[in-house]
Amino acid sequence: MITRVLLVTLLAALAAVPSAASAGTSSSSGGSTLRVAADTSFSTFNPFLAYFAGDLEVLDAIYPTLTTPSQSGEPEPYLATKWTVSANHLAWTFTIRSGLKWSDGTPLTAADIAWTYHLIMTNPAAGTANGALVGSFASVTAPNATTLVIKTSSPVSDLLSTGATIPVVPEHVWAAQVKNLSSFRNMSSFPVVGYGPWTLTGYVPDQYATLTANKDFYADAPAYQTLVVQYYSDSDAAVDALRTGQLDEIDVLSATQYDSLRGSKSVSVYATESNIWDAIELNTGAHTQNGTKFGNGNPALADPVVRKAIALAINRRELVSKVLDGLGVTGAGYLPPSWPQWWWTPPASELEGYNPAEADQLLTAAGFKMGPGGVRIDPKTHQPLTFRLGIHSDEITDSEIAPYLVEWLAAIGIKLNVQSMSFTQLNTVLPEGDWDILMDSWNVPTNDPAYLLSVQTCGTLPTSQSTPGNTDAFFCDPSYDKLYDQQFTDFSEPARAQTVDAMQNILYQANTDIILYYSDNLQAVRTSSVSDFMFGKQDSAGLYPVQNDLINWDLAKPVAAAAGGSSTGLVIGIPIAAIVIIGLGVLVVVRRRGTAGDRE
Amino acid sequence: MTSDTAVYLARKIGGAVVSFAVLLVIGFVIFSLIPANPLETLTRGRAVSAAQLAFLRQELGLNQPVLERFWSFAWNTLHGNLGYSWQFQTPVATLIGQRLWPTLLLTGSAMIVSLIAGLWLGVRSGWRPGSPLDRVATGVSLTFWSVPTFWLGLILLSLLAVGVGPVPALFPAGGMSTPGTPGGLAPSHILDVARHLVLPCLTLSLVIFAQYVTIMRSSVIDELGSPYLLTARAKGLRDAQVRRDHAVPNALLPTVTVIFLQLGGLVTGAITVETVFSWPGLGYLTYQALQIPDLPLLEGTFIVFSASVIVMNTLADIVYRYLDPRVRRQ
Repeated sequence: MITRVLLVTLLAALAAVPSAASAGTSSSSGGSTLRVAADTSFSTFNPFLAYFAGDLEVLDAIYPTLTTPSQSGEPEPYLATKWTVSANHLAWTFTIRSGLKWSDGTPLTAADIAWTYHLIMTNPAAGTANGALVGSFASVTAPNATTLVIKTSSPVSDLLSTGATIPVVPEHVWAAQVKNLSSFRNMSSFPVVGYGPWTLTGYVPDQYATLTANKDFYADAPAYQTLVVQYYSDSDAAVDALRTGQLDEIDVLSATQYDSLRGSKSVSVYATESNIWDAIELNTGAHTQNGTKFGNGNPALADPVVRKAIALAINRRELVSKVLDGLGVTGAGYLPPSWPQWWWTPPASELEGYNPAEADQLLTAAGFKMGPGGVRIDPKTHQPLTFRLGIHSDEITDSEIAPYLVEWLAAIGIKLNVQSMSFTQLNTVLPEGDWDILMDSWNVPTNDPAYLLSVQTCGTLPTSQSTPGNTDAFFCDPSYDKLYDQQFTDFSEPARAQTVDAMQNILYQANTDIILYYSDNLQAVRTSSVSDFMFGKQDSAGLYPVQNDLINWDLAKPVAAAAGGSSTGLVIGIPIAAIVIIGLGVLVVVRRRGTAGDRE
Repeated sequence: MTSDTAVYLARKIGGAVVSFAVLLVIGFVIFSLIPANPLETLTRGRAVSAAQLAFLRQELGLNQPVLERFWSFAWNTLHGNLGYSWQFQTPVATLIGQRLWPTLLLTGSAMIVSLIAGLWLGVRSGWRPGSPLDRVATGVSLTFWSVPTFWLGLILLSLLAVGVGPVPALFPAGGMSTPGTPGGLAPSHILDVARHLVLPCLTLSLVIFAQYVTIMRSSVIDELGSPYLLTARAKGLRDAQVRRDHAVPNALLPTVTVIFLQLGGLVTGAITVETVFSWPGLGYLTYQALQIPDLPLLEGTFIVFSASVIVMNTLADIVYRYLDPRVRRQ
């Protein structure tokens, strides 16, 4: 009996094989559905609360913004068609596009924008995701349906970038949700009322969101009728899905995955300018805003000589070559190269290249004598120069970098003890100041550098030990803060770039964030089914400009159904399944004959 | 019901209640000890002011003293309220409810497959210990038992979801359904889910069927020398009948315990399998909760997982009493 049940189960499983083969490749010939991998899983489609990249990429497509980033990252018209700013830079007047309608037919006017912004400014729950961006907004009003006026308490040079970040929601829908804004996820009723190139028409928890092209969008509607944003919890499985046509695009690949896809006939890989840096952070001494010290960081790292020696001992070029397979740029300035207007490199005379001999010399000159075991002794504490190096246990590159750092610093008499910590554990240790050196990385999702620069201001230090701020390495320099305030008042880009350059120079000299490298963004598109996905031209190094999902999804066009893939799968799959089934059948018959004697 | 039975039941159920109370405390203490700075993880890479951080800390209840948190946790749990997820901004019970069905489908089907395959192989191996079938079955099952689950999953993905050489992609690479297929009980949806189920179910079955093989095998070997089997053979019964009708029923008893333990563990899902195959179940929910860490969600899943094990263990004790007269006599 058990034999028969087992056999039936096996046959049932195998019978499903041919259908699976066809499913595996149907998307490539479907034509009107674009399937892309989500960057993270989905938590909420409430734009007032959303933090995660997966949620944000969907929200960008279904809710409008005042401005939108162009292909070069500059803010360009969206809801606002044009704008003017007063002579004192405190009042911005936007002309709002007329004749727009939300997806339920209700007119979309300046009043919706004013209502959304006002809610973020006045309601703490509504300010969860974007409250800090409107911190210097004094008022937002809509004198009529096509005019919006934003008044600020101080000049704000990145206001147009802020306008490209904050999603605008329909007041007539969201007014009823204000009371329970913290618990409203906007994930249960479809289609979601919005305005954008896409309308959210479905969501399957922990799997995918389905969006439908908005044919009434003011600009050209997307060529695809449907967009599926699907999350794969294992990135290798997502790559497998791309190979077999279940996905059309992935925009976050590891160097190994990128290399493995290079020879594919149906998939093309692209490297784009980096908008992310990887660094080691050095704890110069945890302290609160009023100067109270805490944490057990090694005091030797407060010494600029020690930090400079560490910077000199690191061979960044080798890291790019060995860890990134050459897919990146050696690190220097605080802002990554994705936005050329902000990218700063130190003058050649100050460039701290790989120079262990100079590092050795610096430490010896500063009195750090070599002690037992080749570890130098701190002349102030008389302790060996031993530091903890915290790495992310869930980041493969961290564990690849760590042995190099251990070896290079050992060569100059500094011992590193590697401590592998989960992302959450590291985030817990960081504000408590109980660390010496940590691996870290940051990315700049928009072209405006204000937020990343703000991480290094004194205002991010904790107000008390029990209420952690969002500081990175307890860096605080009043001259840096002064420049930070100044760049908000620089309304010409070259002037602002000069200020930002000066800020990066301060950070570079401080060596609290030693930037190791900027890794290229690696992505892959199934070009046998999608064309025109990427925008921009390759530079001399073969890199594309940093991409924007919304623009990619609008540009993408289906390739005419290609023959081969699916039918080949079926042609080969069905006979294999048939052979296995027949083989099992024969096996059973032979076995039953063999035991016939027993049964009689 | 005799008084003996009543005492037995009261003792078992009382023990289960005590176990549940203890696990409430353990669950809370364990998750309170986890170093956690959920705000840093939740707001990573976003411009957040100090005032907002303070507001969020208040909203999530991070300012509450530990004792106060414990009492509200225990009180709410006993009233069926598992709290509110920090990450999903939604009741934990709702999240668990949404993901219960996918997990039961995966672990339930894997259990059925592994039970059938494991018991069948275990009986055959035990009946003729040392035979080629015994050596192969034991070796293969123990090899799969020793293999890391995520690794086996990734290998099966590469072989069967991508294809190797002339063998094409046979199954989907992840998820539970194909976007665009109708939902509900439509035959195309059922078939679609079944196709998505094959690889995760196969991975899980291969890993867990060894325990059924080994337990069934050793139980059958224990029975081999029993006089009642000699009697059965002396009556002229054929070998398969002796095995099926006499040896197996007696050898099944230890397996019942394992089956109930497995039933209790069904809802805990299979964290690694669900993560590798993007299967939207409770195991994957736990993995997501750990990344923040979303303490209310972790506590909620822990309570549900542990409670199901306690309930199934208690049921196993009760069922065992009816299956085995020796337990009734004790």
